[in-house]
Amino acid sequence: MTAPLPASSPTPAAFAPRRRISMTVVGPILALILLAALGAWLNPNFLSAANITNVLARSAFIGIIAVGMTFVITAGGLDLSVGSMAAFIAGLMIMVMNAALPSMGVGIPIVLLGMGAALLAGLLAGLLNGLLITKLGIEAFIVTLGSMGIYRSLVTWLADGGTLSLDFQLRSFYQPIYYGGIFGVSWPIVVFGLVAILGEIVMRSTVFGRWCAAIGSNEQVAKYSSVKVARVRLATYVMLGLLVGLAVIMYVPRLGSASASTGLLWELEAIAAVIIGGTLLKGGFGRVWGTVVGVLILSLIGNILNLTDLVSPYLNGAIQGLIIVLAVILQREGKSGA
Amino acid sequence: MDEALSAPVLALEGIRRSFGPVEVLHGVDLALRPGRVHALIGENGAGKSTTMKIMAGYQPASAGRLLVGGEEVRFKTMAEAEARGVVMIHQEFNLAEHLTVEQNLFLGRELKRGILLDKAAMRRRTRELLARLDRPLDPDLPVARLSNSDKQMLEIAKALSREARVLIMDEPTAVLTLAETAVLMEQIRALRAAGTAILFTSHKLDEVKALADDLTIMRDGAVVYSGSAEALSPHDMAEAMVGREMSDLFPPKPSLDPAAPLALSVRGLEVPGHASGISFDLRKGEILGVAGLIGAGRTETFEGLCGLRPAHGEIRLFGESVRFRAPSEALAQGVAYLTEDRKTRGLLLAKGMRENLTLQALRKFARILVDRRAEERALDRAVREFDIRAGSRGMLVGNLSGGNQQKLLFAKTLLSEPRVLIADEPTRGVDIGAKQQIYALLRELAAQGLAVVVISSEMQELIGLADRILVMRQGRILGEVAGAEMTEEAVVRYAMGVARHVRPGEIRSEETA
Amino acid sequence: MKRILAGLCLTTAMSLSAPAFAETKTVGVSIPAATHGWAGGMNYFAQEAVKRLEATYPDLDFVLATASDPAKQVNDIEDMVATRNISALVVLPFESEPLTGPVKAVADAGVWVTVVDRGLSVEGIEDLYVAGDNPGFGRVAGEFMAKSLPEGGKIVVLRGIPTTIDNERVEGFQAALEGSGVEILAMEHGNWNRDKAFEVTQDFLSKYPQIDAVWASDDDMSVGALAAIEAAGRKDVKFVLGGAGMKEMIARTRDGDAMIPANVTYPPAMIATAIEVTALGLVSSAPVSGRFVIGSVLVTPENAAQYYYPDSPF
Repeated sequence: MTAPLPASSPTPAAFAPRRRISMTVVGPILALILLAALGAWLNPNFLSAANITNVLARSAFIGIIAVGMTFVITAGGLDLSVGSMAAFIAGLMIMVMNAALPSMGVGIPIVLLGMGAALLAGLLAGLLNGLLITKLGIEAFIVTLGSMGIYRSLVTWLADGGTLSLDFQLRSFYQPIYYGGIFGVSWPIVVFGLVAILGEIVMRSTVFGRWCAAIGSNEQVAKYSSVKVARVRLATYVMLGLLVGLAVIMYVPRLGSASASTGLLWELEAIAAVIIGGTLLKGGFGRVWGTVVGVLILSLIGNILNLTDLVSPYLNGAIQGLIIVLAVILQREGKSGA
Repeated sequence: MDEALSAPVLALEGIRRSFGPVEVLHGVDLALRPGRVHALIGENGAGKSTTMKIMAGYQPASAGRLLVGGEEVRFKTMAEAEARGVVMIHQEFNLAEHLTVEQNLFLGRELKRGILLDKAAMRRRTRELLARLDRPLDPDLPVARLSNSDKQMLEIAKALSREARVLIMDEPTAVLTLAETAVLMEQIRALRAAGTAILFTSHKLDEVKALADDLTIMRDGAVVYSGSAEALSPHDMAEAMVGREMSDLFPPKPSLDPAAPLALSVRGLEVPGHASGISFDLRKGEILGVAGLIGAGRTETFEGLCGLRPAHGEIRLFGESVRFRAPSEALAQGVAYLTEDRKTRGLLLAKGMRENLTLQALRKFARILVDRRAEERALDRAVREFDIRAGSRGMLVGNLSGGNQQKLLFAKTLLSEPRVLIADEPTRGVDIGAKQQIYALLRELAAQGLAVVVISSEMQELIGLADRILVMRQGRILGEVAGAEMTEEAVVRYAMGVARHVRPGEIRSEETA
Repeated sequence: MKRILAGLCLTTAMSLSAPAFAETKTVGVSIPAATHGWAGGMNYFAQEAVKRLEATYPDLDFVLATASDPAKQVNDIEDMVATRNISALVVLPFESEPLTGPVKAVADAGVWVTVVDRGLSVEGIEDLYVAGDNPGFGRVAGEFMAKSLPEGGKIVVLRGIPTTIDNERVEGFQAALEGSGVEILAMEHGNWNRDKAFEVTQDFLSKYPQIDAVWASDDDMSVGALAAIEAAGRKDVKFVLGGAGMKEMIARTRDGDAMIPANVTYPPAMIATAIEVTALGLVSSAPVSGRFVIGSVLVTPENAAQYYYPDSPF
């Protein structure tokens, strides 16, 4: 179909592949390495297997959510409701499992039922956000700000202002999902790792990932290029909802409870991790591995501050804020110099 | 040149400019004199934009001297250049769409009374400035609602309000209609009479001939002609730009196979608010031109046809009745639309060439994962076949010249192997060499069996390229011209609503019914 | 309720008498939203008290508002005065400083003001003050630690959200430990949050090879600390001392769980006491103004049964 053009110039452009190490790539990794080195230097226990397992496992919830958030933000969206959504789904999952306990008894089926409920709730919650944003054309910020309040209230209401707790026996049975593992790696880390790897592949090498970046970069161009903009955007929110459900499946066995304070500020941590990782907040470019680095940076800061007596605990928030801003500045400098 | 030349108000001497190891300007000399219009022409990528940007303080020169009023200066910012009376107007307007005419005019230098804005004074000044340009726009109108030519006028008014001694205009007529262009040319002459030095670039050589006193032609980062505009004919100019003899701009038109099947047959297409009663036929291998003034509903009609906006009516594609609710459905059936607006609808300017090239046909490159090497091969082929010239392979598309962007857009659109191609303003903002290439390409595609629609505001282009021309006005097809009837005069008569023709669709539908 | 009242410690006597009115009066109740377990319990007891008192006193109406931040609470109170014409206000201030001005304005308008738990920054505004004993809470916990651990015992402390309440508790705790030879290895904020307490405890366990006990200072944080200790399989930690008397924890103490040998009360039901006493003051001439401080009591397996409220969410 393509007709060769009569060349008006005999010399086509010389394409010398030019690769340069850019700070946008090195920045977050460098920050992570520096933090790890600092931790190891300040406390020898930092590099112990137990501590590394702790940090990775506790990063898993926000990490799994942040991978989904990377797609939403890359496609030019935003979701503020994930923290509340996680709390609500956790509450729902606990109630479903407790309610089914008398009839099903403790066993694998009831755990599977709980997991199914969590994933279904996540899917529906994501679908609701996505439909309001794509079909009714309401700003993502407003839609998810609204659903954030709704889910937070719902979980408070479900728990009657207190805490929803999983039946003790059920929790003991389900606990290995958080504390157990395979080949010495605990399940949350395994799941987080799989989600991250799959996410990176989807973002980097599938039509869907490319479409997300195209929509976030310029919605009009995507539309004129026959990309089903609304459908792709909807899919990002549904995927995020599902991943919130998955994170909850990992979260519930840890403490076996959900309350109004579950998942508080997770949305901001997830968004911060995405941005530290080099994804553009306005959309158009995203990378999942960066998000993983971002999540680890955030977790490590807390861990190091707990392991050392470097600063007053009152200043923990300030240190975190400082490192977030520094990580982003490091990248910006790279950009202007590139 | 019988008059004595006045001293240049702005001059470049031996200007060089490098990006990294690549030198793109190799010692450019150029002088602008008060009260004269200077045209700067050259192919895309010849260095015109860089030259202008150095003049206006957007970029520093790597070497050479910049003189304003005979005094050497070094602009660090465009504000410094503006302070010296050197103002540049961009091809993409530098206007805040949501602000009003008046707010844009005074953006960044608002008049104040105490700490409050002096709105009355600003409105008065706005009226005065626009009156000077003979364009009495409402100062309270949001810029988003202005036509392109009015935006252009506003940019000029902005330059005047900054007391410009040197006005640099990057393709001021690229987005203007003929009538609008005429108005602009009047204004430029008036500014010249008032003593302003004017530099402009254009790909329309007849305009250059009509307007310019002095002429500089650039090729590959160097000046190849500097002197009077009078001395060269448009044909000479084109040859100097391209650096070789120009054969005919348009490819020869082969005679059409009368037995060629109907590719597209449209009856009574309605695009609410923009067009109604659109009926036409298009044969395989044919190039159908669509003429009309801006605002005649041409773009909207074909966007409606392709599912880009709501529309209804009867559409037959190779005999089969089809209905496109989304562009993806049109594309799946082999109907591709090449947008007139490559910068905001056609290409992702912040992405590389590979991502842009394959965006529309991405599924062809993916089973589960996108095959990046196949994409790279497609890019190699596109670069070769469409003669896309880029500084480096990883270059962002936003940094390509207009002609190369347009060639990439063609490559992208054709990658999905359409049966019907609708090309909206395919040569807008493209240099003459690239234009010739695009015309040849379109004809070649038609010869291979593609059915092509070309929407254009350039009359000569349609007459030179198309087999038939439909003329639209106010959302309707008013007439059709073909063969020897295809003259500028005939088309203009329809476009202005002077003549009326029996709609060809009506005749044909009877014939084929 | 009786049990709580029995625990009341009357520090100031009072004189004001409220004449009985025939017409309906409105009592406004403004409390923080249920953002953690204790607050959830407090919300529960407030709702219960309102329900019960509306049945008991047909002449009284109650308006209950929960606020998620101090600014919202100020708005709630202003709305109550402007639109409901309240005769009395029972307020548990989110924070002392921002609420002092608005509550003072209410008091100046002649409305009866009862302040609960967190005192205002200016004294003498409220007619009635009902509060827990925060230094006492810390002191009772510290005394238990000193008694239960040998000299040289090592403990870590999970603190709450950085507030005056938390500071008073920790100071009381430290004062009680003085001279006991028990060493506080480290203190970190767990924000009265289970997840945060879990993570902080994990990190404490990584940092210190030998920890004898954890003062979690709150039963929500106990839950997190216990899970972290169990997961780490650390046998050196002998017990976790929580506080505020969450029903599950009280039950475990009652049943003799060695990891939770005791608890320290900080009853969320104090809000009910405050509402009840305020209502009493409005409908009768009983003298009710003054300061009530509800002491913190050590709960042990022997007396745990009487601190167990099965219906409370906390």
